[in-house]
Amino acid sequence: MVLAQILLNGILLGGLYGLMALGMALVWGVLNIVNLSHGALIMLGGYVVYYLFTIGGIDPFVALPIAMLVMFAVGFLLQYYLLNLVVRSKMLNTLLITFGLDVVLTYLAQLTFSADFRTINPPYAGANFALFGLTVPSVRLAAFVVAIVLAAALWFLLHRMALGRAIRATAQNLVAARLYGVNPSVLYAVTFGIGTALAGAAGGLYGMIANLTPYIGASLTAKSFVIAIIGGLSNPFYVIFGGIFVGIAESLTALYIGPTYSDVISFGLLVVVLVLRPNRTLRTS
Amino acid sequence: MNRPLLIVSLLVAAGLATLPWLGSDTMIQFGINALLLATLAQSWNILGGFTGYVSFGNSVFYGLGTYGTAIAMTNYNLPFGVGLAIGAVVAMIAALLVGLPILRLRGPYFAIATLGLNGAMMAIFSNLPIAGSNIGLVLPLTRNDAMFYELALGLLVACSLTVLWISRARFGMGLIAVREDEDAAGSMGVNATRYKVAALVMASFFTAIAGGIHAYWSTFVDPASAFDSTLNVRMVISVVFGGPGTVLGPVIGSFILSTVYEVLASQISTAAALLFGVVIVLAVIFMPKGLADILRSRRNLTWRYFIRNIRENRL
Amino acid sequence: MTQTAAKPGPKTVIEARGITKRFQGLVSVNAVSFSIAEDEILGVIGPNGAGKTTMVNMLSGTYTPNEGEILFEGTRINEVPTFRRAHMGIARTFQVMKPFPGMTALENVTVGALFGRDGGEKSMPAARERAREWLEFTGLGHRIDNPADSLGGPDRKRLEFAKALAMGPRLLLLDEVMAGLNPVEVDEVVDLIKKMRGKGIAMLVIEHVVKAIRSLSDRVMVLHHGEKIADGDPTAVLADPRVIEAYLGKRRT
Repeated sequence: MVLAQILLNGILLGGLYGLMALGMALVWGVLNIVNLSHGALIMLGGYVVYYLFTIGGIDPFVALPIAMLVMFAVGFLLQYYLLNLVVRSKMLNTLLITFGLDVVLTYLAQLTFSADFRTINPPYAGANFALFGLTVPSVRLAAFVVAIVLAAALWFLLHRMALGRAIRATAQNLVAARLYGVNPSVLYAVTFGIGTALAGAAGGLYGMIANLTPYIGASLTAKSFVIAIIGGLSNPFYVIFGGIFVGIAESLTALYIGPTYSDVISFGLLVVVLVLRPNRTLRTS
Repeated sequence: MNRPLLIVSLLVAAGLATLPWLGSDTMIQFGINALLLATLAQSWNILGGFTGYVSFGNSVFYGLGTYGTAIAMTNYNLPFGVGLAIGAVVAMIAALLVGLPILRLRGPYFAIATLGLNGAMMAIFSNLPIAGSNIGLVLPLTRNDAMFYELALGLLVACSLTVLWISRARFGMGLIAVREDEDAAGSMGVNATRYKVAALVMASFFTAIAGGIHAYWSTFVDPASAFDSTLNVRMVISVVFGGPGTVLGPVIGSFILSTVYEVLASQISTAAALLFGVVIVLAVIFMPKGLADILRSRRNLTWRYFIRNIRENRL
Repeated sequence: MTQTAAKPGPKTVIEARGITKRFQGLVSVNAVSFSIAEDEILGVIGPNGAGKTTMVNMLSGTYTPNEGEILFEGTRINEVPTFRRAHMGIARTFQVMKPFPGMTALENVTVGALFGRDGGEKSMPAARERAREWLEFTGLGHRIDNPADSLGGPDRKRLEFAKALAMGPRLLLLDEVMAGLNPVEVDEVVDLIKKMRGKGIAMLVIEHVVKAIRSLSDRVMVLHHGEKIADGDPTAVLADPRVIEAYLGKRRT
């Protein structure tokens, strides 16, 4: 029974992890940028929802789409005015610039929001219900559902809408994108914006489950990366599955080895996955 | 690096060696920190600068050097030199174990694999009784800043001479070929994995010694200070700012940044960290080849240099 | 060894026995066999997508064949990694030129001399000297200190040659080195390849320029949809109706 409960916790948490990685996988697959500031953007999204809730008095789940819009704008501007300047250079440079961005966002957040722990604490935060003898925390279940819905929405956007087709064409070939009559700079910015909006949603949900601090970015980036590698970059649902896999692995580690080892597990999983399938091309095909 | 520049550099190093007799205590302490950071940057340069493989996990070797020295000296009462050696060996073994699987991977995989490394090591050492778990270890006190200063300077010189050798040797040509085009390098006979792992192991050696010196100097080691992920930020930024793959760039870059950091940190440390981030971003955009390239092309350096860098890389 | 010694004539350098490469079920190269001897030039032609580059990649070590065997001087090398094949004496040029952009022409070629056959020249000055000689040989002597990425098309091809030759190869794989050159430049490259004959190197030349292939090759092999449809004397092969239909016919339209 304990094991079943642990598995359930892992799955629910894993859905959120998958959502975290979704934006990273999208940006990586389409723009070929491994965004090291992805975790910081998740953190930023968390604070947006936090302030909408505490100052604006808006229910966090209602605040989520607002935060996504805000984060879309942030992502759009970052890509359009900054990252587009280096997007053609070596991957080393895009890694470095997003790393620098991560540092900037982290310490800006510390200056603006202070280093205190914050939690998004709506009245129903502690609510849960019993199902087949298991305890289901309502907020975590809702977060899981939101993650699935957003993955589905992303899939729909990429495969059923003209914008999505243009984005996928860009992933293949920049020249092809021009055939769609889209300005690649704008298309890149939109794609990065979508990735950032997804990060923002993940941050809002994360803030309802765990503590927000300005420093959570780096470890969330690493986690998102692990999941993006496990799930691949081609299909949003695979990314969610990747998240669930990591969520379960973490919950089991916490139970059997000790909760402080979750970072070790992420790293171990990453190495194992990379070594087992090193030649697999990750870009969308 | 040509002969006159080498001679000037060695003279500057000799001049720096006299600082303990001339400078104040605070200057010596600042000097130790700056020299150790420069060593870390120069070590990072061996892999990052020459092969283009960015590591965000070199702080782990620093931490292992720190703990190796601390455990040897506190738990086994071994002399400082033996502690340093133990730390270095442990770090090199770790570099080998980590490098062999993940350096077979190309580009970003390696970089991000190393992101998780620091957290993982910190978790392990926080649970390790021999390392004092969460509390850490206290080393025997030695009030001899001049000695630590000369040690740090010697280490930096040794590390820089190693990089100078690399830049002129067959080994270095192989590393640079890997950076420029790994497929082509392989088809020309460069065993890329072996070269990259060798570079990481060399880097881990100097990084660990720097950690050991710092441990004995500060007389206290705990997981948070040993596995300090901001060290990675500082290494990366010093090299990127100074000039990756050059001999003097990382040293000059880290000296400048140490100075700026010292001035700012006495005011507000967050602002200093923020500035580091901004510098990385701007450096990548305007001077992706580093300060060294700017100095090299100083004769015809105009605003066009920066515009050209942007033109080459923008969408 | 005794087998090859027993055979009359020049020594076989590379031999492929029924090599096949599939990518996710699609057959790119299908059961192709051939061999090249010392001082022999094998021309390979075929329409785009016929599997020519895939074949070169199997010989150089980028891909491992799914079936068949590759023998280099009598040794099976199917699983030997790329860099070790370079040490054995296999050198290649890339269809998309891959100079080391941040290095000068001399440094580029020096890498070849430092790491080529038998692990290359161990001393830097000697390697540099060897690189200088090959740059002279390929007609780049006046540009040795130019950065590789500042060289124009034809000079880049020369650089690729010099890099490969500096490795001291036994087998040289030339993948479309004439693509994008004008007729005068093509003639220069043809002369260069002819100049290399007599150095004991086996050469495989992939080319679209039929005229060049005709004048260079001792034998011509034609690939079509991954299969070998002809192999033999250049004049006879290029007159073969099947070859004309598969390849030349389309080009003439």
